[in-house]
Amino acid sequence: MQIVSEQKDKNKRVSGRFVAESRGFLGLTRADLIHYFFGGNASLAIFILLLICVFLFKEAAGFLPDHHRGLTKWRQSGQEFVDILNVAVDGHTRLGSSLNISYYAELNSSSKEEQAKLFASRAVLQRVKAALRGPSGRLRKLAAELEEVREDLADTEQDLAGGVLEPAKRALSEAELSGHRAMIAAIEARIVVIEARVVEGMEEALAGQEVWEGQQLEGADRQAVSEMVRGEFDGQVGTHPWVAELEQTVRTRKAERIPQLAGFKNASGNFRDAIKPMKTFIAPLREAASELKRQAIAAESAPKRKAALLAGAEATEDPEERARKLAQAEAVVVEEPDYDAGAEKYYSAVADFEASVAVLRTEIEAAVRALPEATELTDPSGRQNLARFRAGLPDYFDSLERAVARAKAWRHDKPYSWSRSFFAFLVGKDWITNSSWHDFYGLLPLFTGSLLISLIALVVSVPFALGAAIYVNQVASAREQNLIKPAIEFIQAIPSVVLGFFGIMVLGTLLRDVSQLPWLAWVPGFPLQERLNIINAGLLLAFMAVPTIFTLCEDALNNVPRAYTSGALALGATRMQTILRIIVPTALSGIIAAILLGFGRIIGETMVVLLVAGGKIQIPDFSKGIGVVGEAAHTMTGIIAQETGEVDRGSLHWRALFMVGLVLFSISLAVNWGAQIVLRRFQRHGT
Amino acid sequence: MANHQQETGNPFAAPPRQEDRRASRERVLTLAFRLLTYAILACALSIFLGVVMRGAPVIFQAEAPFINTDFFTRLPETLVVYEDDQGEVRKLSATRFEEMRSANPGRRFSIVDSYSYSGGGILGPLVGTALLIAICMAISLSVGIASAIYLSEYSSKGRFMSTVRLAILNLAGVPSIVFGLFGLGLFCLAAPNLVPVDQIADRSLFSVPIPLTGAAVSFEGWGACMLAGGCTLAIMILPVIITAAEESLRAVPQGFREASLALGATRWQTIRKSVLPYAFPGMLTASILGITRVAGETAPIMFTAAVAHKDKLPWIGQDPDSSWAGRFLDFFFQSVQALPYHIYTVAAKIPQSEYNKDMQYGSVFVFMALVFFFAALSIWLRARIRRRLHW
Repeated sequence: MQIVSEQKDKNKRVSGRFVAESRGFLGLTRADLIHYFFGGNASLAIFILLLICVFLFKEAAGFLPDHHRGLTKWRQSGQEFVDILNVAVDGHTRLGSSLNISYYAELNSSSKEEQAKLFASRAVLQRVKAALRGPSGRLRKLAAELEEVREDLADTEQDLAGGVLEPAKRALSEAELSGHRAMIAAIEARIVVIEARVVEGMEEALAGQEVWEGQQLEGADRQAVSEMVRGEFDGQVGTHPWVAELEQTVRTRKAERIPQLAGFKNASGNFRDAIKPMKTFIAPLREAASELKRQAIAAESAPKRKAALLAGAEATEDPEERARKLAQAEAVVVEEPDYDAGAEKYYSAVADFEASVAVLRTEIEAAVRALPEATELTDPSGRQNLARFRAGLPDYFDSLERAVARAKAWRHDKPYSWSRSFFAFLVGKDWITNSSWHDFYGLLPLFTGSLLISLIALVVSVPFALGAAIYVNQVASAREQNLIKPAIEFIQAIPSVVLGFFGIMVLGTLLRDVSQLPWLAWVPGFPLQERLNIINAGLLLAFMAVPTIFTLCEDALNNVPRAYTSGALALGATRMQTILRIIVPTALSGIIAAILLGFGRIIGETMVVLLVAGGKIQIPDFSKGIGVVGEAAHTMTGIIAQETGEVDRGSLHWRALFMVGLVLFSISLAVNWGAQIVLRRFQRHGT
Repeated sequence: MANHQQETGNPFAAPPRQEDRRASRERVLTLAFRLLTYAILACALSIFLGVVMRGAPVIFQAEAPFINTDFFTRLPETLVVYEDDQGEVRKLSATRFEEMRSANPGRRFSIVDSYSYSGGGILGPLVGTALLIAICMAISLSVGIASAIYLSEYSSKGRFMSTVRLAILNLAGVPSIVFGLFGLGLFCLAAPNLVPVDQIADRSLFSVPIPLTGAAVSFEGWGACMLAGGCTLAIMILPVIITAAEESLRAVPQGFREASLALGATRWQTIRKSVLPYAFPGMLTASILGITRVAGETAPIMFTAAVAHKDKLPWIGQDPDSSWAGRFLDFFFQSVQALPYHIYTVAAKIPQSEYNKDMQYGSVFVFMALVFFFAALSIWLRARIRRRLHW
């Protein structure tokens, strides 16, 4: 009331100005101008959205034609053909590594414990040495200095012993002599001090927990290792008996095992050798394809180079220089290489390829027959890898069949279809840049990485955010609400780069250490191999998404008409029944919209995934099941942040990155759109 | 069961034996929700404490002036790890190391290792971030508040209005890295710039010479600079500012406007005298909220403004002979260091060791403290407004 009366006073004072306004600028009144000014500002939002589209499209525009041209060259030059043939080698390498792991796991299985102990003892020694790096280095330097001074001393002594020096010189030398001796004494004193410091530091390190962390050394073993470390620092020659004994055991056990596994070793060696003819068969083809591709690229840029040389010739005054440049310009080859002649080589190679595949197959089959059955092995890792090898073998043979079929069907002059080059981007399995062979721009590894991380983040964050929203909105006292709501706003304020930093410094190490606990070994994917991986990024993003989902969920719960709650309570429902059966179902579409918007926020997040996801551009290995979360990955946002600053403007790579941006932009629009639709249903329901 | 219901007339009521079980279920569920809530807070607290425990010792010290002044008054520089003649391994920033070396000519120091950007202080990044925020807020507040006034005061339901609202909603969901790409494409590579005719860059989309001046308006962009970064951030934050400002405008009771209009005031007079003054505190909160968001963003400024290395503050080293306008432009058309980008650099782009932990945690601590200060300010202001202005 007070404010309104004040307003009245003010209006009275200025009432004289409230007269009809004259038509001013372009026949518009001042009020119109003000109106349009504000309207213009508001329409800026639309304008900006359009601008984003325009500029993303502008930079990405050339991508599809350029990409198509690149892929056409890939086909014409025969690189595609070589890649088809290479399937045989790649698959063989994969299988071979399983077989190799299996063999060595089996070989080492009888002395596993001893080897682990030896490994642990070496790790501890390394850690102690690292902790004492400063004083040890200083000791080495002092020893060198001591050596030098001693040599000087010896020289001086020799001079004196020679006895032919003049008295003056003699006095000088004697002074020098005593100077050297004093220096030696000083250095030796320092050495003693620093040696004491080293010993002290070593004892301290051994007494502490840090150097033992993560190493399975207890009781007597720990004492033995401590002794060994001490011996190492005392400069004892020879290995410590504890170590020697372990090494001896390992040697004898291995020696016992080798004859038993001779068949296995032989077979796996045969398997490895089987691919050699194939490799030598492909190598010349690969070279030819590379050469053709190089010529093709040179021909592409030739007109530009020629024009530049001609322009340079125009500009030069010197006739000799001009003649030279003109000659150079003449020499530039503009014609494309003769693909047809090059392709003949590939066509004639098809039959040989088929023959070598047949040979390869029989050799592999022979080798595999000599392999032991997986059940005959004793080591779990050995069994697992051999089983994986055997399971992968039929797939490999299939892929060989397909490769032969594809090689037969391959034609260098068949035009590369536009839809195919588009899908080569959208669902291509490789993102390989700066390679000497061919650059592939396939979105799939990045997209899978983004999606996997986002899904983990959602799965983790939704229960927490929703639970907290229900708690704050329905259960918590006013005082609790006043604590929790601002706290969650604070979480929203934590910058993403800080969270990423936290992920590198703390969470990564924590996760890895936890995953190495023996009683957690049953969890799929444990122990984690790397610190920076999908689960680390997913957890941090979950934390980031909590405030967004929480706030929107709380709004949705708040919008449930009070009558519903009162009605349920009046009928005698308990608090939880009301919440779980009345309030949450009513607010469900709002909650779904909140989750969708949270997803949009997560998939667009950059810094955390750039810092923490591990940066490995590869489709995660889903054959591990849930264990896939332990792998490193790369994301769409991360690749843009990482590579945009480093590539040439306007290059294919640059355009590819803008295409990725465009995909992200479309995803965000789609997610928003979905949330709008869901919310609209909610409004109808709520009122 | 049926009998029981008839007796009490309560369809949800359970027979007495089930009553206990139901009550305990109730308690368990409540506890579960409470646990979920406090688990979130515990995570936040552990991150917060983790940063404070390692960061605070870098910033604060035991003797006067109790704060590590070097950290706030120096630019980032190389950190030198050296060994003195006592065999102690120590570290110093490059300039301090040189000072000490020339002050003690008799002693020998051997350099063990060096780490870029890990020594000195964070004055450069702090100043850069402040400038970016200032530019961003100046642009986004003027545009954002004007848009909000239109949406709240002039709005008539129509196609234009719903399009604007949809655009704002969608803009709010666009990933920050896409804004970065957009800023790179528009401000750094295509925005109009005034350049001498003979220096027009090849990338210029087109250029219009201005007669008699020897200069031309060339659409070649500004390169990576403060202004480009500020504009990118401003566009990114616009939806937040518009939404919040509109909310505070709508919170002003309709009666104020009606009374003013009834007294014969024009619409603009009404807005200026009876609406804006009461919506102002809310807008202030909104702008501070915007600052917290903008300060924390790294992705939009990665290619548009930020650099890892800069050996001077923005206002130093300007050409004293150039005109006032020239110096003004030079100032805004230079790249800057920014705190979040600095953290990214020291955390991910240089080799990690025990020696550069101080710079990392110190920067993160200062950054968190800054952001939390603004967040707390906005929360406190909002609470104050709620107490003081209610109608």
